[in-house]
Amino acid sequence: MSRIGVFVCHCGLNIAKTVRVSELAQFASTLPDVVVAKDYKFMCSTPGQEMIANDIREHRLDRVIVTACSPLMHEQTFRKVLAASGLNQYLLTIVNIREQVSWVTHDLDEGTAKAKALLNGAVSRSRLLMPLTSRVIDVNPDVMVLGGGIAGIQAALELANTGRKVYLVEKNSTIGGHMAQFDKTFPTLDCSACILTPKMDSVLQHKNIQLMTSCEVSEVKGFVGNFDITIRQKARYVDHNKCNACLACTEKCPGKSVSEWDEGLVKRKAIYIPFPQAVPQKPVIDREACTFFKKGKCRLCEKVCEQKAIDFGEQDTFSTVKVGAVIVATGYDLMDTRDLIQYGYGKYPGVYNALEVERLFNSAGPTSGKVTLRDGSEPKAIAILHCIGSRDKNSHEHCSRVCCMYSLKFAHLFKEKTSADVYQFYIDIRAAGKGYEEFYNRIIEEDVKFIRGKVARVAKSVDEPDRLIVEAEDTITGKFIKLPVDMVVLSPAMIPRSNAKDVARLFNLSTDKQGFFMERHPKLAPLSTMSEGVFIAGVCQSPKDIPDTVAQANGAAAEALTIVVKDKLELEATTVMVNPASCCACQNCVRVCPYGAPFFNEPKGVSEINEALCKGCGLCASVCPSSAIIARHFTNEQVLAEMEGLMEF
Amino acid sequence: MAVSFQQIEEKLKTEARRLLESGEVSLVLAWGKGYDEKHPMPYVAKCPSDADGIVFNEYCTHNPARYLVRYPRGTKIAVAVKAADSRAVVQLIQEDKVKRRDLVILGIPVYGIKNPKTGELIDGKTTCGLYNPVLYDVLIGEEVHGQPVSSPYAVLAEYEAMDRDARFAFWKKELDRCIRCYACRKACPMCYCDPCFIDQRKPRWGEKSPEPAGNLMYHLTRFHHLAGRCIDCGECSRACPVDIPLYLFHKKVAKDCEEMFGQAAGMSIEDKPVLVNFRMEDSDKILE
Ligand SMILES: Cc1cc2nc3c(=O)[nH]c(=O)nc-3n(C[C@H](O)[C@H](O)[C@H](O)COP(=O)(O)OP(=O)(O)OC[C@H]3O[C@@H](n4cnc5c(N)ncnc54)[C@H](O)[C@@H]3O)c2cc1C
Ligand code: SF4
Ligand code: SF4
Ligand code: SF4
Ligand code: SF4
Repeated sequence: MSRIGVFVCHCGLNIAKTVRVSELAQFASTLPDVVVAKDYKFMCSTPGQEMIANDIREHRLDRVIVTACSPLMHEQTFRKVLAASGLNQYLLTIVNIREQVSWVTHDLDEGTAKAKALLNGAVSRSRLLMPLTSRVIDVNPDVMVLGGGIAGIQAALELANTGRKVYLVEKNSTIGGHMAQFDKTFPTLDCSACILTPKMDSVLQHKNIQLMTSCEVSEVKGFVGNFDITIRQKARYVDHNKCNACLACTEKCPGKSVSEWDEGLVKRKAIYIPFPQAVPQKPVIDREACTFFKKGKCRLCEKVCEQKAIDFGEQDTFSTVKVGAVIVATGYDLMDTRDLIQYGYGKYPGVYNALEVERLFNSAGPTSGKVTLRDGSEPKAIAILHCIGSRDKNSHEHCSRVCCMYSLKFAHLFKEKTSADVYQFYIDIRAAGKGYEEFYNRIIEEDVKFIRGKVARVAKSVDEPDRLIVEAEDTITGKFIKLPVDMVVLSPAMIPRSNAKDVARLFNLSTDKQGFFMERHPKLAPLSTMSEGVFIAGVCQSPKDIPDTVAQANGAAAEALTIVVKDKLELEATTVMVNPASCCACQNCVRVCPYGAPFFNEPKGVSEINEALCKGCGLCASVCPSSAIIARHFTNEQVLAEMEGLMEF
Repeated sequence: MAVSFQQIEEKLKTEARRLLESGEVSLVLAWGKGYDEKHPMPYVAKCPSDADGIVFNEYCTHNPARYLVRYPRGTKIAVAVKAADSRAVVQLIQEDKVKRRDLVILGIPVYGIKNPKTGELIDGKTTCGLYNPVLYDVLIGEEVHGQPVSSPYAVLAEYEAMDRDARFAFWKKELDRCIRCYACRKACPMCYCDPCFIDQRKPRWGEKSPEPAGNLMYHLTRFHHLAGRCIDCGECSRACPVDIPLYLFHKKVAKDCEEMFGQAAGMSIEDKPVLVNFRMEDSDKILE
């Protein structure tokens, strides 16, 4: 015999509008073992919580069911109420009648009936619940930050300043990310390098940061508080401990490849540093471009290197680091606009994408900051095309958020550096940040022409073969425009990194419809993920500007800190165990577990669980053919009882 | 080219004797004499002289791979297999129930095996229909040339033409006849769970004695547990005393699995058991 209390929440009108809450409470009171059933406007409020606590005492309840919103929202709240009233917190059941009931119907009868069914199931299961004890584990105090763009740099510095050891893992040979490619940043137009390079340098100098460039994560084991991460150090063929950055090698090298840093606008050497302020400022060899690797002869760099730092025999190496929390800040790619053939990118030399233009403005860029076309001439008319691939059902539905602003920045810089006429083709200008509207107004003053209309096509001019024609409908005047220009700038959609899927798989992250990493809750936990102890910051979560990226990075650093400041961590008790008498040694559990918790005990001939690794996801239990796996809190008996209760309806 | 059962039998005996004499294996799984010529039985040779008891004729339908998991891990075993039987060995290796290094596989290319009950030729209708073993160490005889004429799934055409309700009615009628002798489970090389879920009491997944609901529970779960694992030997259906066409269901699931994940059970020891293996490129059709 149990003594169950049922507490039905109205959630204001959220639930009450499609579930007859008092009828539900009344129904609950008729169910076996339910000794008290009440409804209340906001169960999570202080009076609501007090009501539950009082009833636990007064009615000597030994099980509590709260019929309210998703357990993701308030399971912890109500567990605390139980614990404070002397009941084991695992004797709580949450029935989600908001997300699963009231929000998915408009029909009061339907809603009430489904809520009753769910509650009936919960009462059946509740009786079989067992008190459980949470596990307590030691926490590793260190943190890993993945990605060395502005987000990763900021997060790493913040954490390192609190005295934490930080591993900053960057796949490229330098940190900096996209921000290092820019000349000026909106809306203040301050020089990107001036604000970024000091930070990059701090990273290098900081005694608490271990910078790991040309590195990738190849395996993640463990869980919050205790991650074991294997890192692959890609061969650089230059011993950075010996190299003194004289760069004599880069001068002599005959090997050539396109410079990724300059968006392919110029060539670089096979042994190279991507840009003068790169951190670390030590070269690497690009195997694909190196004459020695391609033809077996050359080794010029080796000859000129006085430090004897060149090592053609270097191999990729693997190392493991242990950390308590991880921040993923892997940033974005721009979409490949060649797929949108109507804009002629890759076909007409006069069409550029936004990052290429950033390089043209940059004094360290291919043209030393002069705006010239590929043939060296200065453009006389320039069209900037917004929303290329963004806000477009046929390609990417999302708004990339920064294109309006950097297009305005471009307009300003074009005006400053050339005497060209500058046209903006936009759908609408989104200037919602601090100082952004003011920046927009300033650009309007600068004699930039704004044409409201999405460009339909970029074509070659028939009359002047060197020029391009931009075709669009001006939606304000309703006129169809054919504008001759010399330069077209595309603002392509910001999309997830091409490796985002791999990263998601390594760290068990979910991705949203666009492929950006998904936050635990869009409003209340925007930096946490479903993978405990793994946080996200910057554009890998969704398109945003630098101020927002930095704010997120600081937030993620603080979140990671909340984990690693503790030396112990309480983990859910809901893990699984194997009943050896039933295990038929199929090892399905070993194969499906995403966390590597089950292992096959060869001498005993049965599988066992490393409980420290088990997250209680239940996958193993569902593939175990002989029901040998007992999932605590979700035992077969408990789940079957719940299903029977559900099915009585 | 006619298959000589006599020659195969002789060669099997010779190999078995050699392997047992040399101590390479401690037992040989094959077929032996039953109560008459039409009913040979599974047979274990444990010493060289036992080799003489090995029989091979057109009624050797049993799948000797069934008995592999009976012996302690690490036992060195030689197992005689026909085409489908060899797929069971491969599947068991994939599932790590046996180790490749512990096995000597005596592969028998053969066609012309008959169902002792009906005298009918056993072909792609009730089994995978392959002629040659997919994996072996010693080939007993010569490979049979040519491919089976029809797909192992051709037999499903009629069944697939039925709509949902008709299919359910079909299986309800068939499974209602089950007497729960569990011969299907005993014959199946992939049914190695001990205890089988249906024998468990906590929780009790279904009634143990024959009655419609329990029969449905037993069979649907068994079909499900064999999804992506059934190697289409057809032994379950031949073992069934009331002739329930279990092979139809198994074939249907195997076909779906192959279409969705591009992998048939027990074809390569490089494969991983398909339903407990996650690949990024896997089809999501199974969720529909
Ligand atoms: C053309 C253009 C102009 C812009 N101008 C401005 C502006 O003026 N002002 C402004 O506020 N914002 C601007 N933005 C937005 C700005 O670029 C972003 O807000 C900012 O760069 C995001 O930083 P991040 O660190 O999140 O990403 P990124 O800069 O993309 O950095 C991510 C880093 O992670 C690394 N990485 C990726 N995957 C892995 C992996 N698997 N392992 C290890 N490392 C990995 C990458 O190599 C990179 O170094 C502009 C954007 C564009 C496209
Ligand atoms: S899935 Fe179940 S039966 Fe199979 S090895 Fe794991 S615990 Fe044992
Ligand atoms: S419940 Fe099973 S599958 Fe899930 S983490 Fe634990 S052991 Fe792994
Ligand atoms: S289910 Fe039947 S056909 Fe499939 S492997 Fe088992 S016995 Fe053979
Ligand atoms: S062999 Fe036939 S009768 Fe026996 S349990 Fe299997 S299906 Fe039922």
